[in-house]
Amino acid sequence: MLSLAQAVLDGVMIGGVYAVISMGLTLVFGVMGIVNFAQAQFLMLGMFVAWFAWRFLGIDPLLGSFLAFGAIFALGWALQATLFRRVLAAPPVAQIFLTVGLIIVLENSALLLFGSEFRSVATPYQTASLRLGELFVNVPYLAAFLLSVVCGGLLWWFLDRSWFGRAMRATAQDPMAARLMGIDAARMHRLAFGLGVGLSAFGGAAILPYLTVYPTVGSQFSVLMFTVVVLGGLGSIAGAVVGGVAVGVIQSVSTLVFPIQLQNLVLFLLFIAVLALRPEGLMGGSR
Amino acid sequence: MSAPILSVSGLSKRFGGLQALHDISFDVARTEILGVIGPNGAGKTTLFNNLAGLHRPDAGTIMLDGVSLVGLKPHRIAGLGLTKTFQNVALFAESSVLDNVLIGGLLRHGVAEARAFALHCLEQVGLAGIAQKQAGELSFPERARVEVARALATQPKILLLDEVMAALNHAEMEALMALIRRLREGGLTVIVIEHHMKAMLALCDRIIAISFGRKLAEGSPAEIARHPEVVAAYLGRAHAV
Amino acid sequence: MSRALVALALLAAALLPLALESEGYAIHVLTLALLFAALGQAWNIVGGLANQMSLGHAAFFGIGAYAATILQIRFGLSPWLGLVVALALGGLAAALISLPTMRLRGHYFALATLACGEVMRVIANTAAPLTGGPAGISVPFGAEGVWMMRFEGGRPIYWLMLGALVVVTVVFEVIRRGALGYRLRAVRENIAAAEAIGVDTARVKLQAAVISGALTAALGVLYAQFNFFFDPDTVFGVASISVRIALMAIIGGIGTAAGPILGALIVIPLEEFANAALSDRAAGLSQLVYGAVLIAMVLVEPRGLMALRFSWTFRPRRASA
Ligand SMILES: Nc1ncnc2c1ncn2[C@@H]1O[C@H](COP(=O)(O)OP(=O)(O)O)[C@@H](O)[C@H]1O
Ligand SMILES: [Mg+2]
Repeated sequence: MLSLAQAVLDGVMIGGVYAVISMGLTLVFGVMGIVNFAQAQFLMLGMFVAWFAWRFLGIDPLLGSFLAFGAIFALGWALQATLFRRVLAAPPVAQIFLTVGLIIVLENSALLLFGSEFRSVATPYQTASLRLGELFVNVPYLAAFLLSVVCGGLLWWFLDRSWFGRAMRATAQDPMAARLMGIDAARMHRLAFGLGVGLSAFGGAAILPYLTVYPTVGSQFSVLMFTVVVLGGLGSIAGAVVGGVAVGVIQSVSTLVFPIQLQNLVLFLLFIAVLALRPEGLMGGSR
Repeated sequence: MSAPILSVSGLSKRFGGLQALHDISFDVARTEILGVIGPNGAGKTTLFNNLAGLHRPDAGTIMLDGVSLVGLKPHRIAGLGLTKTFQNVALFAESSVLDNVLIGGLLRHGVAEARAFALHCLEQVGLAGIAQKQAGELSFPERARVEVARALATQPKILLLDEVMAALNHAEMEALMALIRRLREGGLTVIVIEHHMKAMLALCDRIIAISFGRKLAEGSPAEIARHPEVVAAYLGRAHAV
Repeated sequence: MSRALVALALLAAALLPLALESEGYAIHVLTLALLFAALGQAWNIVGGLANQMSLGHAAFFGIGAYAATILQIRFGLSPWLGLVVALALGGLAAALISLPTMRLRGHYFALATLACGEVMRVIANTAAPLTGGPAGISVPFGAEGVWMMRFEGGRPIYWLMLGALVVVTVVFEVIRRGALGYRLRAVRENIAAAEAIGVDTARVKLQAAVISGALTAALGVLYAQFNFFFDPDTVFGVASISVRIALMAIIGGIGTAAGPILGALIVIPLEEFANAALSDRAAGLSQLVYGAVLIAMVLVEPRGLMALRFSWTFRPRRASA
């Protein structure tokens, strides 16, 4: 019973981060209708940015996450302006294979530039934990979770309250109408893509204190992120939050029952089941 | 009237808060040409979609030659002999005109036979000359006629035509009406939805008027033309346009 | 293409190995290219004719490779019979995957099939007693003989792959020109209209998936006999198999028989030579180039090289939006 409560607690904290990294994916889909198969590779880049900031500038990854966001935001902006802009109206096959090509390019660029070794950071709070009654709160988990909550809150404020956010949502609903209202749709797309991949990079940096980074680390997160957004409904930000926490808890609890190698299998099967039964997401229509 | 080929009773369909069809009942006699009229949004297309199995009715029965159609998949219903055209024209845009019609023919024939039969159907609608053109490149009136040819290729017992004349000019319309009459002579039963009242009065044996999902009136063209509610709900406005 | 041209190309392809060193590198690369051409062609049935972008064909490929190899290890089963088993298992797996995923379209279908491939990878990695787990599995070394597909030199397996490519291509063409091909096209272009004129769309998709899955599994058996060793991450890999298979058709031209063959003949040798030339210099460079070429290809002409050829000759380019 106690271990179950502990697993749920861990799951919620990990899930908070999943929510943030998946928000990026869902945002890109919501605004542009593109499923970015390479989203997790931007998370990998974010982890590298944070790692180098820690290694050479002595910046803690939790602060470095803002740096990662900025750098990957700029990269995303540039990629939208050069590559993705051209496939917005193309058939899905072009969109799918553009992002698949991007996976290959990003992973191998990382391999060329940074080598294949596993890198991790050392922080003073690495092994710290707090007591909460009978339960333990892992400090790196907690820090990443709190950071994610802040980031999610900022994103919500941005989308809901700022002019840019509202313009972006208008673009998502009807690009033509948005254009007539004087909104620069192409600029909104660049902003959305930058923001989307930036968020995943941010989340990647936030989990660096308890994970290691290497060029293919993204593939671990790919199906996970897709499960999150499909659970919550592709394109729904609120859905990503619910889906993220749900996946975190399911993953964490399933390790109590199944051997660790099968942890992902549970996710995959859940993913296929959700797609098959409710492709619009469990919270469908709340886009 | 001998046993009807199609018998619809108590048909209802709801879309969220909108009662698109409400308790619709009617029979269609063998080799009859039945007209369905009503203002835009009355539920005519929805009626066709329910008959063809594209929507599942909430209530009611649909019997085709004694076989219940409710709950059957559209392709089963087509196999039983009921085929509809699409008002918004749903051709296979990247295929040739011939291939569009050929696929209809595959319902009852092999490829070679279906091809020959497709050519025959295209001749009937006067489009044999453009059989090799890509469907997506056709003009709107041509597309509507390909729709008709494709439906004919399935060799239906009963054919449902949804506003196929809307885009046709006078001569084309006359030709299509002549075709419908000829097909009826050959044993086909037809239900037509059309806004063009003069054509409907000339073509149909009987007309059903629906409005807001309800059957307003049913009768011979002459009866419908002077039915006060129909005139008020529909004809008055249609004539004014 | 005219019949004579096809016959001539086939004859040249059959005679080519006689001019090459039997144990040489060139014949190895060409054999691999033939395998991937055949895989791309099998994928083309689902991806090209039905336009369902499967990113999970590694599931069938790996099932074939593992099933035949395990049966050969345990019971000394001939790979020829392994082919039969693979056809059956691949078809069955395709049917099972098809049932929950066939309603999905575009991105959703790609995602779901991708996950199906990953499920198989995880299972193969976990079921170590049967599959050897992450350490991989080797085809048993036996005496030479046609019955156990154990040949001297590289020529026989080349001819075997060529034969496989011919078979798969013939299947593809028969489907494309036949009733199933027309129906698949109808499903691809307008599913509601297809149903309304009597096409059993669910059944048509299922048929295409089963044929494609069965052929892909059989090709997995040939791969095992060609490579002698494999592991779950290779044969069930997303990048190494699923995406690569689809790429052959996409680069060459989706939905055409020539597409995957053209794609494989360009991509596989390019990949191999780039690997050989660049891998000493820097790990990842050849893959990087490969990814960049893919991106360029998608941006220039998403319908593949075949379409590019046509667009130069008579079709006006669509303006990119
Ligand atoms: N699939 C659908 N979902 C929701 N509402 C629909 C659907 N199809 C039709 N409707 C609605 O049902 C009503 C009847 O539509 P329709 O049958 O197309 O009318 P008609 O063909 O008589 O012009 C309209 O209000 C229309 O908006
Ligand atoms: Mg209508």
